Amino acid sequence: MIPKIEYFSPVNLTELLKLLDRHQQAAKIIAGGTDIIAGFHQGSARFKGIKYLIDLNWIDELKKVELSSDGIVIGSAASFSEILKNELINHHFPLLSTAASRVGSVQIRNRATIGGNFVNNAPCADSVPALLVYDAEIRIRSVEAERAVSLADFLLKPYQTQLRSDEVVTQIRLPFLSENYLGDFYKLGRRRGVAISRITLAVLMKLVESKIDDIRIASGAVTPIGKRFVSLEQFARGKTVSDHLYRELARMLGNEILDATGLRWSSAYKLPVVQQTFYQQLQHIYQTGNLR
Amino acid sequence: MKKTFNLVGKPVIRQDGYSKVTGKARFADDINYPDQLFGVMVRLPIAHARIKKIDFSEIENHPSVITICTAGDISGSNISGIIKQDQPVFCDQKIVTPGDVVAMLVGEDEELLRQLAGKVKYEIEPLPALTDPRKALDSDAVLIHPESKSNLIVHYPLRKGDIERGFSQSDHIVEQTYTTQLIEHGYIEPETVIAIPLAADRSVKIIGSIQNPFTARRIVAQALDLPLTRVRVEQAELGGSFGGKDDTMDILSARAAVAALKTGRPVKIRYRREESVLESYKRHPYILHYKVGFSREGKIKAMKIDILADGGAYASMSPFVTWRSVAQATGPYEVENVCTDVRAVYTNNPYTGAMRGFGSPQPIFAQESIMDEIANQLGKTPDEIRWINCLHSGSITATGQKLEKHDVNLIKVLDTAVQKTNFSRQWQACKDKNKSILPFIQKTHASQADKSLLLESEDLVAPDLLLRKGIGLALSYRGCSLGAEGIDAAAAYLSVQPDGSLYLVSGLAENGQGMRTTFSIIAAETLGLSVEDIHYLELDTGIVPDSGPTVASRSTLMGGGAVKIAAEIVRDRLQKFLCDFWKLNKQDVLCFEKNKVFSESDPQKTLRFSEVCQLAYRKGVCLAAIGWYPGPKVDWDESVGQGAAYFTYVYGCQVAEVTVNLGTGEVYVDRVVAVHDPGKVINLLGAQGQVYGGVTQGAGYGLWEEISSADGFIRELNFDQIFIPTSKDVGEIVPVFVEGDDQHGPWGAKSLGEPTLELTAAAIANAVRNAVGVRFFNLPLNLEEIVLKRKLKPGGLKRGSAV
Repeated sequence: MIPKIEYFSPVNLTELLKLLDRHQQAAKIIAGGTDIIAGFHQGSARFKGIKYLIDLNWIDELKKVELSSDGIVIGSAASFSEILKNELINHHFPLLSTAASRVGSVQIRNRATIGGNFVNNAPCADSVPALLVYDAEIRIRSVEAERAVSLADFLLKPYQTQLRSDEVVTQIRLPFLSENYLGDFYKLGRRRGVAISRITLAVLMKLVESKIDDIRIASGAVTPIGKRFVSLEQFARGKTVSDHLYRELARMLGNEILDATGLRWSSAYKLPVVQQTFYQQLQHIYQTGNLR
Repeated sequence: MKKTFNLVGKPVIRQDGYSKVTGKARFADDINYPDQLFGVMVRLPIAHARIKKIDFSEIENHPSVITICTAGDISGSNISGIIKQDQPVFCDQKIVTPGDVVAMLVGEDEELLRQLAGKVKYEIEPLPALTDPRKALDSDAVLIHPESKSNLIVHYPLRKGDIERGFSQSDHIVEQTYTTQLIEHGYIEPETVIAIPLAADRSVKIIGSIQNPFTARRIVAQALDLPLTRVRVEQAELGGSFGGKDDTMDILSARAAVAALKTGRPVKIRYRREESVLESYKRHPYILHYKVGFSREGKIKAMKIDILADGGAYASMSPFVTWRSVAQATGPYEVENVCTDVRAVYTNNPYTGAMRGFGSPQPIFAQESIMDEIANQLGKTPDEIRWINCLHSGSITATGQKLEKHDVNLIKVLDTAVQKTNFSRQWQACKDKNKSILPFIQKTHASQADKSLLLESEDLVAPDLLLRKGIGLALSYRGCSLGAEGIDAAAAYLSVQPDGSLYLVSGLAENGQGMRTTFSIIAAETLGLSVEDIHYLELDTGIVPDSGPTVASRSTLMGGGAVKIAAEIVRDRLQKFLCDFWKLNKQDVLCFEKNKVFSESDPQKTLRFSEVCQLAYRKGVCLAAIGWYPGPKVDWDESVGQGAAYFTYVYGCQVAEVTVNLGTGEVYVDRVVAVHDPGKVINLLGAQGQVYGGVTQGAGYGLWEEISSADGFIRELNFDQIFIPTSKDVGEIVPVFVEGDDQHGPWGAKSLGEPTLELTAAAIANAVRNAVGVRFFNLPLNLEEIVLKRKLKPGGLKRGSAV
């Protein structure tokens, strides 16, 4: 059930930061509310003891999507519907658009925000693998300071991040990629719509004369939190693409996930399936030449 | 009988459609009284225990708790049950499943009461939880209801012919076991009821999301020890039921009524989704063992069927659900020698009762799977094997009933479906193409429980090999209405006003099936009016006779029959009046068409319907009538399961086309062609809607939906885990109607609601078999079932996101 709470709707960042500074742990930021409200109803321990909810939706600058000199800057409170509609994102970072299109339903996408997706840091957060392969950097503000941190470092454990109680994530920065990246985002849910992901995989790959110049691989829902597979990427770099290599990478990914996750009730299903789908994905990228 | 129709069979937009899609419809929770209180349930977190003491001391003096209702407040019978009396309104002796309620807190602040409910203290003696129905009849099994002396709720034997002789005459015998899962109805509106005390004479009015207002009235009257007339039940606009708003709503009505009379104020109970899923009854999981003997030509000689149904904690509708199973378990085939035993047993699992389909989707899944296996074994196509065995006019069913006096359209629906889909050729082509079973699937299917399997590089499959197409069909016959379950009759009340508009209401309930529109069409057709002339009233037990429950796809057949009779009574009176008025012969036939009445022999004699009504009203003609439609007699010998189980039948065949992704286990339903003989279609749009909904719901049953439990506690309490299909999950659905003549029902209109659902899972399972080359025996055919051939479940109950 929803506890008795005091609700604030600051209209600018300064006001927001003051509120956070004043209320610290007693306050929780609410953006789309698609995790918090459901969490209240479930009696989730993560949302116990909240006295104040501070709504980001009235702060325009947190909703903007803009070009910068070296990439794009996405306001943390941009909804997935806004991301989906945004031509800049669609053009430069199509895997993020695809990931956004697979979030919940139209109603959920209208409310849920990109910042909320990774601040909540559920293992199944749909946008995280896409953001990770784009090397997303996030900006965090408090009354005192602003800091920048890579998303990969920001995410600590399931439902835990580096974010302190006086801080807010203001921006997600995605640096432009050089040309010639191929890529794909894959999500498996139990249904085609309104589904929590069972497996997500994002892959970016740049080939130079059939050799892998760069490859970035990230997953969600099969690992405790969304994660990049750095050693697998290192193994692949410089190698000539071939069916044999793809098979090898898919085989190795299974081992990496098993190492990262350990055995779960779902492993018997997820491990062979993630291997199979990753292999499919690499083949698919290679065959269709999907740009980014 | 009419040759042409003005309205019947045409598409008519449902009367409640606009108000529902615009949010104007008033559901039970939209109805509020200024001084109303809320009732909040107290449950104990255990599946099976003897209650020693419930201690309210910590909360009973809390200013927000106006009263606490328990078994002690029930002046009549605390034990309810529609068939077998075993379910307490408030538990005071035992807890037999975690949904059980020991008390209800009543007060103004619902949220606060929910918090206080957790502070009730209790002393209990825990008992072992019986959760495996296969152990329910063991001699050392704990008894769920000790007064019943056994955990057996019901056992129906059916004996026809000589089963041993049948097997000895068979060239081949197949023997297989199938299982089906527990599922939730998934109605969009959770349970809500409000009870209003009528102080003058200690009576109570109930408004609620109630599927069967007359049953609710009976249960409430019994609990309050009041005559039926002192309990008046009105149905609010209802947001889905699918068979699910019966027992639970009856008991909730009783709890609300008890509290309303105790406090003298209106009391509302409204469930949240989790509470709804926790307490409400579900569809029975079945374990079905089939042994079928057949000749090398494909003729079935003998069927031995053993079915075990998990009834859960209470009997509820188990005796009727399983009775339909025993009558229909062979499927629509001529089988000379049949030996069927169906048993339902008590466990500490969530209790199971009525759900759309009602004991037919489970045996259809098993029987239609086996039919395909027989076809495969003999090198025949699925339609061929059905052709050889299926029922036709004059056939004798498994219960010894001769099919006669109606169009037995089984072959016709089969042929239509087969032609529309080019079935045999497609099936054979997929079979040939999908002959090889991928080595990695063999590996994952053979993998051991509790062990994980990593694939080797040679197990990885090229993308174009992972997607497999398949096609499958399923065939059924279904007894219409209640059959030998019980008394079968329905009423309709029709009252024409002096201006020619009219009120209509029947004793059956609008549960979303579009009944009001169907009945309005029937009345309008009979009186030559348009549907807009008819104002359909809210169902209220105070104004119309008890017509039995709105179940068993019986509304159009029984209630529609009653509407037609009521309209005919009024029409006959008007005809008689006009013959006098126009000084015509008594034999003269008057036509009621296009809001006019005219004489066939003398077209000069024409009046508008409204003018006729005005004249008749002034002359004192009674323009109101009650139509009463009693079902014909059926007979049944329970000791051997023989008799004319139902007075008529409907027939259906569905063909499913699927794409299976072997890499992930996803099954996509590309297309379902659903061919049904519902008798006569009254509202084409309504009939198509039934097919779209039923097929989608049936696909959910086949592929995704499952309620699982750990020690009797349900894991999936909300729609983040209960996977009912969305519009994205099912492809094209093609409804095809093959109409058949019948002496029963309005113009021969019979049943459609349940047939549309009961076939789909079986058709999909057969299509998956055609695609993968492997038979799957356990519903649902979800991701894990396809990839691993087993189900995976988390150990505990905790949801990841709730950390």
